[in-house]
Amino acid sequence: MSNPSPALVRFQTQKSLAHRLTLATLTGRPVHISQIRPSSPTDPGLAPHEISFLRLLEAVTNGSHIEISYTGTTLVYRPGLITGSSPGSGASGGVIRHELPAGCTRGVSYFLVPLCLLAPFSKAPINVLFTGSGVITSATPTGDMSADSVRTAILPLYAQFGISNNIELRILRRSNVGAGGKGGAGEVHLVFGHQVRLPKTVHIMNPGRVKKIRGVAYCTGVSASNNARMIEEARGILNSMTGDTYIFSDVSSAAYLPSKDKSNPNQKRKTGVGFGLSLVAESSTGSLYSADLASPPAGGVPPEDIGRQCAYQLLESVSLGGAVSLAAATTVLTLMAMGSEDVGRLQLGRDVLGSETLICLARDLKAFGASGWGVRDANTGQEGDVVVSVVGRGVGNVGRKIA
Amino acid sequence: MAPTLGKRKRRYELADENNSSGESARDQSTNELQTLLRQHFEAAFEPLEEFQPKTHTAEITQADTSDSEAGSDWSGFSEDEKDGVEIIDHSSSHTLKADVSKEELKTFMTNKPPIPGNKPVASTARRNNEDLVDPEEASTDAANLKKDLALQRLLKESHLLDSQSSLSHSGQNRHKALDLRLQDMGSKSSIFTQQKMPLAQRKGIMAKVAEREGTRRRTAKENGIILEKAVRGKKKDEGKRQRGIGAPSVGKFHGGMLKLSKKDVAEIEGPKKASRGRR
Repeated sequence: MSNPSPALVRFQTQKSLAHRLTLATLTGRPVHISQIRPSSPTDPGLAPHEISFLRLLEAVTNGSHIEISYTGTTLVYRPGLITGSSPGSGASGGVIRHELPAGCTRGVSYFLVPLCLLAPFSKAPINVLFTGSGVITSATPTGDMSADSVRTAILPLYAQFGISNNIELRILRRSNVGAGGKGGAGEVHLVFGHQVRLPKTVHIMNPGRVKKIRGVAYCTGVSASNNARMIEEARGILNSMTGDTYIFSDVSSAAYLPSKDKSNPNQKRKTGVGFGLSLVAESSTGSLYSADLASPPAGGVPPEDIGRQCAYQLLESVSLGGAVSLAAATTVLTLMAMGSEDVGRLQLGRDVLGSETLICLARDLKAFGASGWGVRDANTGQEGDVVVSVVGRGVGNVGRKIA
Repeated sequence: MAPTLGKRKRRYELADENNSSGESARDQSTNELQTLLRQHFEAAFEPLEEFQPKTHTAEITQADTSDSEAGSDWSGFSEDEKDGVEIIDHSSSHTLKADVSKEELKTFMTNKPPIPGNKPVASTARRNNEDLVDPEEASTDAANLKKDLALQRLLKESHLLDSQSSLSHSGQNRHKALDLRLQDMGSKSSIFTQQKMPLAQRKGIMAKVAEREGTRRRTAKENGIILEKAVRGKKKDEGKRQRGIGAPSVGKFHGGMLKLSKKDVAEIEGPKKASRGRR
């Protein structure tokens, strides 16, 4: 490289840490993140899921350099090249096994969504198996979407960027959030086999009208009637909105974890028991809106409530307007920013654009050297929609090519 | 009080007097609060419609034990009962009849992300609407269709028929007819085109085809016959070719050597500047 050590991009606090690290990897700029939970008396510094994400980054890249201070409150990350799951770089049989620790409080989508953002720019296909006693496939109280929603609401959006071949997300074993909001014991396998030099420039301007609603009701280790009750309640609300509503039901047993008790090692305990619902609304032009809700780890919420709240959440997501919902906007805007040096346009709801996540994303992108966004009022769609124009960086996979 | 069903159940309305004094005092205070709130609201906005503050009354329903009296006193539903009908709709949450097909289930619940707007492949199973059509009409229609098809085929494939044989093809001719039908249905190439052959031979064949086409066009032009427009080669894929990640973006890499064609070199060098000598 011409410039061996570009200036560090400096950030503070743990806010959107995973996405900042992803952007650093995509742009090839090193980052310095300080003040990561500095005032927490019990758990200062990086949390288990953040450490695990750093490990994942290290696994799919070559030449990354990570420095963490003693207390874990400061982090320096110098990204390497995204190699993917090429043999010889940690992948056995073409698959990287990534174990999540039992103390992980975030859903597996916390890892999946950034990994999918890296995957199109990888040198080899990405093939990662998430295992261990920390894999939660359901939605979590910490705000992560379920793995089902990643598959049905996030991954289809890559097709608009010309990335559609050989993408699979296998949910091998389901798990809800375990006791105390920590861990599950699910298993998820991501195959992302379509690598491109540059994602296509997109103009997503027409939100269309919602024409069908699909969903998955899942339960692990509890009676299947919970699914039926959630579906019944959600349909009761959604049927009057659109005729084409169907929610699939998926029942699985809970995973057993070996007991920690050394005196009785044969005693196993169930983990990740619960139920949840993932809903996706699809419009006539292919816009997707999603909603996710799962039973809290403490329990005590009837499935009817989950079904109803999830349905209302979906309606809210639709009511915000725009061609892309808030849950997927980060992905779409990042891909647009990494696209060719051309202006792509995206219609968003005003409240979606004004949300904290997107404002934060815009600032982060600017810090990493992307050009600013242009915003204007939209002519079509809902009242108050805005059109965001994003200029791509035009770098794409070039960083990978030089190596 | 609203009219009740006959005298079967007598309701005794009991005032709240016998309740504990503390509770009634609390009610009093809530009522006062509500009136205060109401006054404030009306001052800020429009006056509200008259409404009755909820009085805390207990209704005790007692089943009448004297059956003989109840039987005689039944006087049917009263007229005013109509507006109090409660409607319960159980239909809304039920699965609609037009349900999701198996293909849809397959596309949505697989490991692959469902592509929006991607219609599942229509089922080839025949629709079950035969009972809608008159059977006699249907049979004649079917027969006509059959004859029509036979005629079409005869017209198209008559050149293959031998002089001595019957109307059905046999042997090599059957294969040729089949090939014609396939091409009719949209097959891109004939099944008789040889896949593999030496390059020189293929070139010869291509040259011969081109020559034949040329002469056909020339004679047609000389005779003043207008032919169909000539198709020139295959259409190129729009856009740039997607090269492999890590592969060089110019030239051909073969055997550890990057070969640049003259065109590549010219593209790299850019347009040559015109000589400046011209005045």
